[in-house]
Amino acid sequence: MNRIILHIDFNSYFASVEQQANPFLRGKPIGITGKQVERSVITTASIEAKALGVKTAMSTWEAKKICPSLMLWPGDPKKYAAITERFNCILKEFSPNVSQFSVDESFLDITNEAEDYFGATCLAQALRKRLQEECGEHITASIGIAPNKLMAKLACESVKPNGLTVVRSEDLISFIDTRPLPALCGIGRRIEARLNALGIETFKQLREFPLEDLQTEFNSYGTWLHEAAHGRDSSAVVSSTQKGIRNMHSEDVKSYGHSYTLPQDTYDPLVLKRYLLGLADKVAWRMRRDGIVSRRVSAFVRFGDFSSHGEQRTFHAPTANGLKLFQIAWNIIQPHLGYTPVRLVGLSASQLTQGPEQPPLFKKDRKILSVFSSLDTLQHRYGSGVWQRASTLSAKFKTRSSGFHYDHEV
Amino acid sequence: MHELLNDPVDVMVSFADNRVLPRTMRWNQKDYKIENINLVHTVREGRKKVFYFSVSDLNNYFKLKLDPENLDWRLVELYTDG
Repeated sequence: MNRIILHIDFNSYFASVEQQANPFLRGKPIGITGKQVERSVITTASIEAKALGVKTAMSTWEAKKICPSLMLWPGDPKKYAAITERFNCILKEFSPNVSQFSVDESFLDITNEAEDYFGATCLAQALRKRLQEECGEHITASIGIAPNKLMAKLACESVKPNGLTVVRSEDLISFIDTRPLPALCGIGRRIEARLNALGIETFKQLREFPLEDLQTEFNSYGTWLHEAAHGRDSSAVVSSTQKGIRNMHSEDVKSYGHSYTLPQDTYDPLVLKRYLLGLADKVAWRMRRDGIVSRRVSAFVRFGDFSSHGEQRTFHAPTANGLKLFQIAWNIIQPHLGYTPVRLVGLSASQLTQGPEQPPLFKKDRKILSVFSSLDTLQHRYGSGVWQRASTLSAKFKTRSSGFHYDHEV
Repeated sequence: MHELLNDPVDVMVSFADNRVLPRTMRWNQKDYKIENINLVHTVREGRKKVFYFSVSDLNNYFKLKLDPENLDWRLVELYTDG
């Protein structure tokens, strides 16, 4: 049976929410930033700011240089999380098969509810009306409808803002051929460059390129590229009862990480230790929450002159203990400190496996592990900030808001 | 001008369709007539659920916080155009 998949993506999400809340921001170029606007990046640019050349992930000083009239506005992640929750409740009114792809994007399998593409178009219009009623008319979304997730997302992104694009099975190839290679989710700049090096610059050329040669160059990814160029994607819309960003399949998560730009550049190892330990605890909490342990830690440090250093270490016993992650990360970055002040520290845990941490051999370690269980229960109930190590009390993490990877429960 | 505040305010509201609708706000001995309720969202603070109302009059944007446990209203954000 042919499926009908709907992909919905809010336009300039965080900026639109702010413009909905504050009418004096409407029609103006605004950039949503992190905690402190001066040492931050643009997490979302409003539609007006994008038209003037401001892009997501641009540093605030660069964005101001490009667009002097840009208004920098500190993000409010709790507000965005509340709107996302409302958005997801509305989506579930239209189909039980909803898969959240990111904070502002979701897939719906509407095969049964829509029956055909005319029904799908009516459903999309009704969905858009409900969103406007519940979230406000300044929070707009683009919608793509196609026979699979990959093509629905491509269709959705072809008309922004506030577009509605329907691509039927018989129109797939002609539609794909109108789009550039990087428009497809899964073809980034590096893959595009490698494809270009093979003489492939369009989807038509990608389709005609021998599958064996693609597999030689990209291994199994070559098969995926070949299928994608034919508009084929069999991945299912997997709904989850879990909340928030964890709606994504746990198999999709490759790492858990956090980084933080310090309030001021510093040489002080004690300050750096406090922030790094605080970050390690955030990473560890997310892993324990998702029932994950890690066997690899990567630590990263960026200096005041924007040079940087990063390394990773792999270890035998998988862990979700923040202190252990911190100790490994500190050993990585410590030898590189003292020459230039540090601007940013970060760490991530990878080589993930499902399951609890192995019970430690020693009684003291076992006690600590049981304490985590209680602290995690508290954090589930009362939210982040309910507990903190005494040694990190003076390290204040200001709230931040970024796009895809931001976890609102941390 | 954008200001972050935490000032207690008096708010007159109406109740309709199971919703609370702020109508006027008294802050610093001055009354402000609320023209538009632009966005309402809730945030969990510990066990409590507090309500935020993003509202505006003709010249100002106000973010009001309502703690439903003690019916305490606070003006937490102010933006004046120009």
